[in-house]
Amino acid sequence: MRLAGRVGGAALSLVMVAVLGFFLFRVVPGDPVVTMTRGRPTTEAMQAQLRAQFGLDRPLHEQFWTYFTGLLRGDLGTSFTFRRPVSEVILERLGPTVLLVGTATLVAVLLGLWLGVRAAWRRDSAFDRVTTGVSLTLWAVPTFWLGMLLMMVTGDLFPSRGMRDTDTAPDFVSQALDVGHHLVLPSVTLVAVVCAEYALVMRSSLLEEMHAPYLTTARAKGLRDDLVRRRHAVPNAVLPAITLVFLRFGLVVAGAITTETVFSWPGLGLLFYDALTGPDYFLLQGLLLVTAGAVVVMNLLADLLHGVLDPRVRAV
Amino acid sequence: MRVKLSALLAIATTVGLSAPPAPAQQPVILKVAIVQQIDSMNPFLAVFQSSTEVGRLMYDYLTAYAAADQSVTEGLANRWEPSADKLTWTFTVPEGKKWSDGVPITARDVAYTYDLMMTDEVARTANGSFVANFAEVTAPDDRTVVIRTKAPQVTMTALDVPIVPRHVWEKVASLKDHTNEQMPVVGSGPFVLTEHVPGQFIKLRANKGYWRGAPKYDELHFVYFQNSDAAVQALAKGEVDLVNRMAPAQFDSLAGKEGVTRNKAQGRRFTELMINPGAQTRTSEPIGDGNPVLRDVRVRRAIARAIDLDALVQRVNLGYAEKGAGLVPPIFGKYHWAPSAAELRTFDPAAAGAALDAAGHPRGADGTRFGLRLIGRAGRAYDEQAAEYLKRSLGDIGIPLDVRLVSDNQLNESTTAATYDLAFSGWSTNIDPDFVLSLHTCAQRPGADGKGGTTDTYFCDETYDRLYAQQLSEFDEARRIEIVKQMQARFYDQVPAVVLAYDNALEGYRSDHFASFTTQPAQGGVIMAQNGMWGYYGAQPAEQAAAAPRGWGGLAAFGAATAGMVLAVVVYLRRRRATAGERE
Amino acid sequence: MSGVEVIRRWRARTGGFRPAGVAGAAVLVVAALVALIAPLLIPAEALDVTRVTAAAWQPPGAEYWLGTDHTGRSVAVLMAQGAGTSLFVGLTAAVLAVGIGTLVGVLSGHFGVWLAGALLRVTDFFLVLPALVLAIALSTVLPRGLGTIVLAIGLTSWPSTARMVRAQTLTIEARPFVERARALGGGHAHVVGRHVLPSVLPLVLVNATLAVASAIVAESTLAFLGLGDPTRISWGAMLHQAQLHGAVPQRAWWFLLPPGLAIVAVVLAFTLVGRALEAVVTPRR
Repeated sequence: MRLAGRVGGAALSLVMVAVLGFFLFRVVPGDPVVTMTRGRPTTEAMQAQLRAQFGLDRPLHEQFWTYFTGLLRGDLGTSFTFRRPVSEVILERLGPTVLLVGTATLVAVLLGLWLGVRAAWRRDSAFDRVTTGVSLTLWAVPTFWLGMLLMMVTGDLFPSRGMRDTDTAPDFVSQALDVGHHLVLPSVTLVAVVCAEYALVMRSSLLEEMHAPYLTTARAKGLRDDLVRRRHAVPNAVLPAITLVFLRFGLVVAGAITTETVFSWPGLGLLFYDALTGPDYFLLQGLLLVTAGAVVVMNLLADLLHGVLDPRVRAV
Repeated sequence: MRVKLSALLAIATTVGLSAPPAPAQQPVILKVAIVQQIDSMNPFLAVFQSSTEVGRLMYDYLTAYAAADQSVTEGLANRWEPSADKLTWTFTVPEGKKWSDGVPITARDVAYTYDLMMTDEVARTANGSFVANFAEVTAPDDRTVVIRTKAPQVTMTALDVPIVPRHVWEKVASLKDHTNEQMPVVGSGPFVLTEHVPGQFIKLRANKGYWRGAPKYDELHFVYFQNSDAAVQALAKGEVDLVNRMAPAQFDSLAGKEGVTRNKAQGRRFTELMINPGAQTRTSEPIGDGNPVLRDVRVRRAIARAIDLDALVQRVNLGYAEKGAGLVPPIFGKYHWAPSAAELRTFDPAAAGAALDAAGHPRGADGTRFGLRLIGRAGRAYDEQAAEYLKRSLGDIGIPLDVRLVSDNQLNESTTAATYDLAFSGWSTNIDPDFVLSLHTCAQRPGADGKGGTTDTYFCDETYDRLYAQQLSEFDEARRIEIVKQMQARFYDQVPAVVLAYDNALEGYRSDHFASFTTQPAQGGVIMAQNGMWGYYGAQPAEQAAAAPRGWGGLAAFGAATAGMVLAVVVYLRRRRATAGERE
Repeated sequence: MSGVEVIRRWRARTGGFRPAGVAGAAVLVVAALVALIAPLLIPAEALDVTRVTAAAWQPPGAEYWLGTDHTGRSVAVLMAQGAGTSLFVGLTAAVLAVGIGTLVGVLSGHFGVWLAGALLRVTDFFLVLPALVLAIALSTVLPRGLGTIVLAIGLTSWPSTARMVRAQTLTIEARPFVERARALGGGHAHVVGRHVLPSVLPLVLVNATLAVASAIVAESTLAFLGLGDPTRISWGAMLHQAQLHGAVPQRAWWFLLPPGLAIVAVVLAFTLVGRALEAVVTPRR
């Protein structure tokens, strides 16, 4: 019952995003066809043909109906720029983003949780103060600026753009190394910003847990501090922290857009930036739907995960 | 467990720190940075400059423009002849030219391509304007193409249409959905498309059987960059060999850089300031909300006089441009028009002020005459800076400017709907001036509903239109040039727009990797964005070009860092395990 | 942005952070003074690219403390001028966001099932949407300008405030003295105005301080992506120019470092002040 409600809520959110996206990009003044054909020989007939091709000559409600029924079939419309289905264009760029976001999230979660646990356990120690200070500072750092800074500081050590060189040997090891080499700066940038937040979350989560009565009981039982921490406090504090990691997925998405823009990483974030310069409305609309969809699904997962891991929630 | 980790560590260290083995014969690769996306590899659909540039490498046109002087030269056809009434053109496709899959190129391929464009509106998406005047295209035999036009057309040797192989394209089911990425893509040009990863790179290999002779190197890679800043940085590092469209400051930053040669070329582009001359639709209904004072040509001339073109070129273009006048840039020498001493409007704010007084716009009590809006594109460095200059220059003669920098889309909307007083614009021109001239004819104004039409400036002038019609059917080149120049003089005199500058094309290449490139034209010409493929085709690799793998220092550091991290994990795990017994 | 809630959740329990709060406040006072005074002292010529005389890309020196930018303007002057825009956008966007959040929060906490349900649904919807993506979409669609940026940030960052205020409202309304007020015939206006609002205000204040911090980061990000107000100088816009004109390949660190550091300093200052305030507002356990 609870599950059905959650899934239903997520589905409703997605529908709302679709509706919002459609009307947001339709209220803009201006004829996309003029933008598409600016600066090159065009005849009036060609413009009319383009308008018909993209369905821009039909009334708004008809366009909406077409778009919405298309959505149900997985059709996100056609990109102005690429003249291909938006879904195809997005799929093409999914891989690099998953690689970057996946690597960065994994490292950030492990590092952030570890830092948070240590900082919380030795509260007010030098380690805590430094970790907290650095985390707060990193949280204040604009992602793109950190990226530019890293690029300037590292100089020639790392490639300045993209995911791989075109002249790398085609064998797997060379290719993997090349991608890894390119991955360093973007993932460090993304990790730095995201990790700070995870560390802060984990620290506060553990601090709350440490005041729980059962820990006092455990200590009273004569268990050593270290063991109390590892066996009792951390597992219980990790749960809300992990849930928050899923909930905060929007943060990673935002970070990915700016990071990919700075490093020309060929993923969805860069596609987003490129779509802005058109602007390619159908593509933007599709990207909005896909990123929001990813975040909605992550939230749903967080909910479900929470239910599975925490018996108290399951019982309710 | 421990053993596995150690082994992993060993591998990471070895792989990361040892230099890669150098293959015996590395292919010579020219790597070119592109900033613009590729919209499509299908030549019937591709409209972006980047895509047509790659398209020129894959497919020859019926005729070509020579590298040295841009005159019409052999393409797929080597001879052409108009009939006496200029309505029928006969092109000869000689024997011996082959598609990259070995099939001979015939006149039937040419006829097929044009015919497809005439019958299928999707095929007209990119280059439809070239066949708009065609009545019939036939291929009576394998060597002869006959094109009949509805009216005489002077641009018959300037048909910039990629000719596709009929034996491949006949099998295409839906032109609209065809991406043309079945590698390798069969073509007729000096290079063959072999791989395209969107947003990352495009790989082409040399067409060894190209009829002009094979290129001097093996592979041509286009690497996608998100902005020209990143591209310039990559050129400085040696990650790419050729970069164009640099900003003046970026171009300057490469001065004296070892291994980099800069090429300052005359460009095909001009920048203009449009002045709304009282916009009207095709049926002469007023449209938009341009300030009515600008309908007076005396006012427009006064504004033009108050703009210091030399200062704009020096401060905004940093000297990398030529002062503007007519619609055809000097790179297309024949048709370029420069005002005579009598026609020239010199920069003279006092005279401009006097002219405005005489036109009935004296300064008011606050020192101003009337205010105007200036629209430019946000994010375009030129607009942002030039707007500041104009604000000051026109402010000085009593015309305060309200500067609005807007998105591309909003700028287009304003200029199309004529809701502007002054606006920045610019055009890339072609060797044949017909297109850029046609933009300013009355017929290009929009219809009654404000849609359609591709007018640039809402200019509508009887004299200009008469001259336009004349040049379109003037087959004597010298006489046509004369008419084209008269048109530009008329445009200059009536000032629906002030041509501010002809931008230089700023390019740079790794001369330690590629010794020379063929520019078009030979003197002061460009390497990229030519009316042809000579720049890429004629690139000459330097001695030992294939040597010196780049950037391995960073890879070694990356390997070391990975190894270090693995090491840290191993040590941590060991320590934990060692103390575990004692702890519990 | 999301950090607001994190930091709100993370209660500063120790007194050790108060000096940090004071330091943050000091930074803010300096920044505010610069923002207010700079426009009065800086002559128009110094910002007008048509009138500058210095060479472009000069490294820091005696005449130009922070060097010059791509047009020859002094980076130090630009920094001072940009402070105003960055702070203005941060403050107004935060006020807008917190205002919407408070309104929605109080309404959904105070009024019955239907309105509360609908508002909660909308709040959750916006809470889930990636704020930056939506802000980008909004600023693409609307005309360029300061108002658009404020609107784009404000409209996308209110949900966390709304949730928090709603929770607080529910807590307050369950208290006996509110029950009593109701029983005595106090209407909605009375209950909300006299009891609910005063008790949520301190929390709202803390939230607003933290919201300014994220709004400033959001402004710089939008400006960097080229969606800012091109006619105004802000720290984010300076970084956009740095990227556009090749500060990184030219190693013009003096054009890249100062705006970024200024953003970090001010954002950090707002965060520290917010946390110090929170420590005061939320009683220690």
